[in-house]
Amino acid sequence: MHKGVFRVFLVLVMQGLILLGLFAAADAARKKVVKIAYKEQETLDPHASILGQTQSGVRLLYRGLTRFAIKQVTETAPDGTEIVRQEVTTTEVEPDLAESWTVSDDGTVWTFKLRQGVQFHKGYGEMTAEDVKYSFERQMRRERGMRFAKNLDVIQDITVVDPYTVRITLKQFDPVFPLRMAGYQQGYIVSKAAALEFGDRFGWNPVGTGPFYFHRHLPRERIIFRAFKKYYGGRPAIDEIHWYDVPEDATKLIGLEKGTFDIVSPNIVTPDVKQQVTDMEAVLDERGPGGQFRFYFNHTKPPFDDIRVRQAFMHAIDRQAIVDTLWPDGLGTVASSPLPPGYFGHLPMEMPAYDPDLARQLLAEAGYADGLTIENYFITMSYGYPKIMTMVQEQLKRVGVDVRLQLVEHPTYHRNIRNNLNPFVLYGGTRLTDGDVMLSLFFHSSEAPDPATGNKGTNFAHYTGIDDLLEAGRRTRDSEQRAALYHEAQRRIMADAVCLPVVDIPSRSARNPARVSTPFDPELGEYALHYFYNYPEMLAVVE
Amino acid sequence: MLSYVVRRLIIAIPMLLGAMSIVFFAMRILPGDPCLAMMGDEATKEALEDCVRHLGLDRPLLVQYADYMWKSLHFDFGRSIVFQYTVSSYILSMFPHTLLLVIASSLVALVVGLPTGIFSALHRQNPLVDYSSRLIALLGLSMPVFWFGILLLIVFSLHLDLFPLIGGGDLITVFDMIAEGEVFEYPEDFLAAIWDVLHHLALPALALGLTLAATVSRMARSAMLEVISADYIRTARSKGLHERLVIYKHALRNMMIPLLTIIGLFVAIALTGTVLTETVFTRPGLGKMLVDAIGARDYPLAQGAITVFTMTIILVNLLVDILYAVFDPRIAYK
Repeated sequence: MHKGVFRVFLVLVMQGLILLGLFAAADAARKKVVKIAYKEQETLDPHASILGQTQSGVRLLYRGLTRFAIKQVTETAPDGTEIVRQEVTTTEVEPDLAESWTVSDDGTVWTFKLRQGVQFHKGYGEMTAEDVKYSFERQMRRERGMRFAKNLDVIQDITVVDPYTVRITLKQFDPVFPLRMAGYQQGYIVSKAAALEFGDRFGWNPVGTGPFYFHRHLPRERIIFRAFKKYYGGRPAIDEIHWYDVPEDATKLIGLEKGTFDIVSPNIVTPDVKQQVTDMEAVLDERGPGGQFRFYFNHTKPPFDDIRVRQAFMHAIDRQAIVDTLWPDGLGTVASSPLPPGYFGHLPMEMPAYDPDLARQLLAEAGYADGLTIENYFITMSYGYPKIMTMVQEQLKRVGVDVRLQLVEHPTYHRNIRNNLNPFVLYGGTRLTDGDVMLSLFFHSSEAPDPATGNKGTNFAHYTGIDDLLEAGRRTRDSEQRAALYHEAQRRIMADAVCLPVVDIPSRSARNPARVSTPFDPELGEYALHYFYNYPEMLAVVE
Repeated sequence: MLSYVVRRLIIAIPMLLGAMSIVFFAMRILPGDPCLAMMGDEATKEALEDCVRHLGLDRPLLVQYADYMWKSLHFDFGRSIVFQYTVSSYILSMFPHTLLLVIASSLVALVVGLPTGIFSALHRQNPLVDYSSRLIALLGLSMPVFWFGILLLIVFSLHLDLFPLIGGGDLITVFDMIAEGEVFEYPEDFLAAIWDVLHHLALPALALGLTLAATVSRMARSAMLEVISADYIRTARSKGLHERLVIYKHALRNMMIPLLTIIGLFVAIALTGTVLTETVFTRPGLGKMLVDAIGARDYPLAQGAITVFTMTIILVNLLVDILYAVFDPRIAYK
């Protein structure tokens, strides 16, 4: 009898233990899923889209020959202890898919030794020099959908030396070349076999070598990425990333609070958004260089052909008030140069001070003592543009300038400013982080928009004053000398009063630190160009 | 009757072609092109040139138009410029979500709007009923769906955790199971998928439905007022019929005819309402897709979506015309 009871007890205990074990195993076997709320990517072909959400998303799938370098920074805390932090830079690169490289004495022949054993997703085999050659040539051929041909203009020829060696010959020395090879925009390596197999459909059949592979797209709902077991850097700690298409900021924030999302990327981070994020004990991960809003004055057309009018506008615009109102509490900083911090060659400078009296005086000297009216000034209703412009409109009114605003859609705005319909232009944007790229696109004479020739460039000031410096910069191999040339360029731009930088705004996303961790400091620890996480494989789910 | 339906369907073809042509040219009158829209602030001149050339936007407008119409006649609506999917497959994956939302919110609107409208018309002498129902209708009319939707989300989704925050539910599984005949094989899974869809549908349908209910209520009120002042109602009452019979048998049915007339219009209102509802509740759907496609100047996708909208409205109006005969035996289609 006693034996029987004991036996039943034993069986019950064993069953209990088995059940407990199963539950424990089930808990351990639960997938580590990170849920991101951002906009949906329109394609996952890295060379076919310029948009923030897409460049952020393709970083999960692809890698380049080089990558933005991760640096160890040692800081001393107030109590004297040393803190070592990891930071990502934007002007230095380190090996990624290329193990090493050599460059010829004249700087025109680059030979990259590829890392061996790097696998493409979905069984597309090992990455070889053929894939590298194809990835750049499809862009250089300006195939349908390619966006970054210009960034590879400097390449003359690509030769496959052996499966693990590729030689790239340039038309002339290019100081920006290692940066162009970084995993960003044109620098990503795609699978040649997959790209040829899928053609136009490669965008939704993407194959790269990144830490995650594309699993499924539920249009306008979410995209599912899965950890790539054979990623050369080791399988990521996260099992899946679910990328939700959430257009509304309010929904993103409710979702973050509720736990529906772990990371959200608001369209605009206002003080209110920052407050909500702080209240729910989430953190804002910042990434630079972000965007810089600035005004360009078209100096080829009246009234801005007179430097006094340009200077008057610069003194009439109260940049501090704009930042204090729209981006307070460190959300934005008053810009200190037309080449923002984080770009090679940046030089912080003294900017024109807010001085409405001086502005009025300069306008009077230029013959506008009775004021000035600018009719039909187009401004887009998207992003921060209309908010800045309405403030500037008020500020200009105080010095007798009446700007009549017309709100238009974003594509209309882009068309109108390229047709030179606005005598001065407000513009934002990010470019490859080098003075040569940024200054060339916005201040080289070849980029002046002209509807007659169809030139759709972005030199809205129609400036011609730094062509010589930019060209000299491209010939200079010494980085200090090159930086000095860009410093001089920035000084000239400001002396000629063709551009007024207004505000620098880093990209920000909100993260629930109780769910997801990153090894980088939230405050610009990832000083990255991707608008998002440069190293998504380093994100981890907090247990 | 059948010949009437066939005739109406034949008339619908030139209407559809006309609508497609209008949309084609209207899209191109909008300043800015898909390339500028796709690249935004980051566009370089070279990328813009390549994009325009590859999309064939540098061809004369009439050539583009002829190409579009010719392909459409062969049921080739092209590929979305932005997403690269074929327009038909993309719309097919979005349309069921929108259709469900329109049906569900119309039901909510009718269930709430009709009784309140009728009730307020019948008891208009009672100022408490009349004013309170008018006040509710006014609230509904002035309460935008994007505000009301967020309110519902905060209360029922965030605080009470009763409904999901985003998404359209597992509609794909429902369709897959129907297509593969698995409904009876795995009835529990099928019911779970249906439940998931309804769970996701409840709040958006309520948000859109209640804002639309106000319109229905106002329409029903005026339709009822018109009917109960008609001669035959007076006759019915003077016959000594019970008031309930007068209303149910004589007034309600006659009231439906003016109401039906506006139901066609109502579907159009509901379709436009889906745009904001889908945005707030982050539901996949045609409404939001269309607005985004216009913003992105995604010509093929916008044209395709508007064609589907036009077809829906034509079909609903046809259905309304057929329903007339059901409600009013004097109408006969020959």
